[in-house]
Amino acid sequence: MKEVPMSTCEREFILKAIRDRKRIDGRQTYDYRRLKVSFGMERGCCIVDLGDTKVLAQVSGKIEEPKKNRPTEGSIIINLELSPMASPAFEPGRPTESGIEMNRILERNIRDSRAVDTESLCIVAGEKVWSIRADVHVLNDEGNIMDAASIAAITALSHFRRPDVSVMGEEVTVHSPEDRDPVPLSVHHMPVCVTFAFFDQGEFLLVDPNRSEERVMDGRMVVGMNMHREICTLMMSGGMLLVKEQVLRCSQIATVKVAEIIELIQRALDKDAQARQAGEKCGFAESVPTNKITTNRKEATAIDTTAAAQQASQVIQEAGPVDKPMSNMLVQAPGTVQIGEGLVNTWDVDDEDMESEEKEGREKSVTNGREAVATSKPTERKRPVKAGEGTVSHAEGSDSEEEETVMLFQGDDETKSTEEPDSTALMQPSNSDKPAKKKGKKKKAAQK
Amino acid sequence: MADSVGKVVIPGDILSEFRASEKTSKVALGPGLRQEGEEVLVTKGGILRHKEPNLYWIDCHQRRYIPAKGEDVIGIVTVKSGDVYRVDIGATQPATLSYLAFEGATKRNRPNVKVGDLVFAKLLVANKDMEPELVCIDSGGHSSGYGVIPADGGFMVHTSLNLVRKILSPNCDILKFLGKNVPFETAVGMNGRIWVKAKTPKDTIVVANAIASSEHMTNAQIRTMIRQLLDKLSGF
Amino acid sequence: MAGLEIISDQGYRIDGRRSSELRKVCARMGVFTQADGSAYIEQGNTKALATVYGPHEVRKGRGKIQHDRAVVNCQFSMATFSTGERKSRPKGDRRSQEMSMHLRQTFEAVIVTELFPRSQIDIYVQILQADGGNYCACVNAATLAVIDAGIPMKDYVCACTAGFIQDSPLLDISYVEESAGAPFLTVAMMPKSEQIVLLEMNSRLHADNMEKVLDLATQGCKDVFAVLDRHVRDHVSESHALMTAS
Repeated sequence: MKEVPMSTCEREFILKAIRDRKRIDGRQTYDYRRLKVSFGMERGCCIVDLGDTKVLAQVSGKIEEPKKNRPTEGSIIINLELSPMASPAFEPGRPTESGIEMNRILERNIRDSRAVDTESLCIVAGEKVWSIRADVHVLNDEGNIMDAASIAAITALSHFRRPDVSVMGEEVTVHSPEDRDPVPLSVHHMPVCVTFAFFDQGEFLLVDPNRSEERVMDGRMVVGMNMHREICTLMMSGGMLLVKEQVLRCSQIATVKVAEIIELIQRALDKDAQARQAGEKCGFAESVPTNKITTNRKEATAIDTTAAAQQASQVIQEAGPVDKPMSNMLVQAPGTVQIGEGLVNTWDVDDEDMESEEKEGREKSVTNGREAVATSKPTERKRPVKAGEGTVSHAEGSDSEEEETVMLFQGDDETKSTEEPDSTALMQPSNSDKPAKKKGKKKKAAQK
Repeated sequence: MADSVGKVVIPGDILSEFRASEKTSKVALGPGLRQEGEEVLVTKGGILRHKEPNLYWIDCHQRRYIPAKGEDVIGIVTVKSGDVYRVDIGATQPATLSYLAFEGATKRNRPNVKVGDLVFAKLLVANKDMEPELVCIDSGGHSSGYGVIPADGGFMVHTSLNLVRKILSPNCDILKFLGKNVPFETAVGMNGRIWVKAKTPKDTIVVANAIASSEHMTNAQIRTMIRQLLDKLSGF
Repeated sequence: MAGLEIISDQGYRIDGRRSSELRKVCARMGVFTQADGSAYIEQGNTKALATVYGPHEVRKGRGKIQHDRAVVNCQFSMATFSTGERKSRPKGDRRSQEMSMHLRQTFEAVIVTELFPRSQIDIYVQILQADGGNYCACVNAATLAVIDAGIPMKDYVCACTAGFIQDSPLLDISYVEESAGAPFLTVAMMPKSEQIVLLEMNSRLHADNMEKVLDLATQGCKDVFAVLDRHVRDHVSESHALMTAS
């Protein structure tokens, strides 16, 4: 399908903004977009979100005959699939030139840098070796597939477990996972690509170009690097000219970025390992929040809580010291609190008691709370404001490793807040179905 | 089915009990509704809307533009061929725009339009059998706001069609509220393209992003969001 | 290859070169009559042929027409007898497609394509014998062929490899050194302004050593340039002498 053409107006504006050291999505020159690494149910399945770019990698293994010239080494195959699903620019059928280039960069970055030990994949020399295949599928292209694909590929390889194999004389046994624990691949180091886009004949450089920046750039440079500051691939091409200093500068920037990314990958891997050990639910479906039908993900946004905070502090001052804390609370599900039973408000609490709650800093939930503001604003990179004591809910996004997200829930009954300007938080007993929906999230209620 | 007005309907639903016009006793069915024999079938998922006296249609989240006669769109000139420009308006086919359809244009005096330029135009012809045709003049031959959008400093955002409708609806005060704080020019095309231009590129970025992110917000939320953006802006 | 010593104690390499020494470069221009420009180059045992056709009208794939510049089309191939192992090499395999693409990107950046809108320039390169540095030989041969064809270029474009083996940078890596698994860098640059047109690296190299290797490769490109420049000057003055003589 034909891609929507880019107008001169957009092109000029993007370039002009870059010359002013601004980016259209509000990022700084060296900023990455939000990076999220999540895993599928199965071992060796990894989904990487880089902003709106989404890439899925799946690793699989099979036993086959080794190559004649390398009888004691298994093989690693990396295949990058640019399906027409991901972008109107991709055509079905034969891979395009850019697809081949990216595939080669991935291969060079991971296979040729010997990130995965191939000799340990040998079962019987010259007869049977493991062939590990990593399929990287681009699901949505919003720019910089290269970095997302390299992160997905290496993370999936580290996440993968192959069945254990034992050799008894001539006989080779492949053990089922119940029989013996599957073994991980030996990953020596984790090379990750960092893409630089160049504009104005190399005068301006950006990290992690998005789709529109990619369409405007002169050329790009991909630096594949690992934690030990070893460059694993370097690829610079496209109709632009650079001098040595720029190349060296890029490698320095890449060092910092790679360290950040690898730390994130490690944390994601650790978290997943813990989740699996604890027998918690994991997998792709679990990583996608389900609170909205039309989108599959929704980022938290800040809402204006200054007024509420002022009000809260005012009320707290007026209320004075607390008599005694609430005692008969019942925790029904993580993150919810029920006081009393049934749907009727049996608390018999007034505003002062509310304040006491607030001061205790207990977890609360407004059960019929409506999600107030959660649409993302790309220009805002600041964390949502936590204003006032206990007025902001604190929800751990089910999977966002990068930063704690703060979500806000607002009582649906706005008239109440206007009628009772003194009450800062209005609570209602939890009923049964709502907490289940918001499972796994800690939250406190906020209502103006 | 007057009671399902304002509610969600899904493809395959069968509607009845439409309120017909008193004079003609006819019912007008808009996008997403289709008469199948005796029944009226819903073909798009969305919210059923009704306009007095007898107009029914479905509001749905759609990204692909279907040209409709008389709508204002923003197009990108892709080819100059002979007497016409071919303009991409995001529809199934490129639209044509005659070089005579500009204010003051004659056979001698062609307008200065280059490939890649943005044009703000009105759809003169739009039906499923013909190529859509654009004009940059009103019936009196005046530009009345249409024409080539200058490429100096403005930016265009691609949004869903729903957002455009929302922005243009009288109930939505995003443009008003934003404009009070950051002066800017804008052109809103019904094909999901919004061109904005403020004083500086920074302001333009802010305005563009504010508009693009306002899709799922209420007016109050939009105000909050804009206020925060402006706080950031002053702290830049 | 582990047992093989790439650098001897005396500091000589397997083929007897010093670490910053190029292999012998031997070049010929205007070797064919049909092509608009052609050249042959030998860099040690690596031998490459390049022919250039164009600028001409865009033939197949009219969709590629650029209304503001010429399209550069490159095709890289390796002769069946070019390596020790004799096998037919399909043109469409990934490696050669990648190589073709890199050549195209290199020459798109260097040829003044704005002068020939709506046209196409074809560059065909074939490796006759492969002994490391295939890309470099191709670029150097193609540069000579483009000059021979009289297509305007911003500058020469010269390519050279540099490796990093046993803690010392080596220039112009041969096949044996390439397959030792050590990192090596391929650079194509415009030698006068030292602007890099293409940069590619394989295997693992510590970021701190990058500069050393890059410097050596830059020097190598300049050396290649000196040799090519002399060939071009000889060739031009020779043909000029022939013209004036007649």
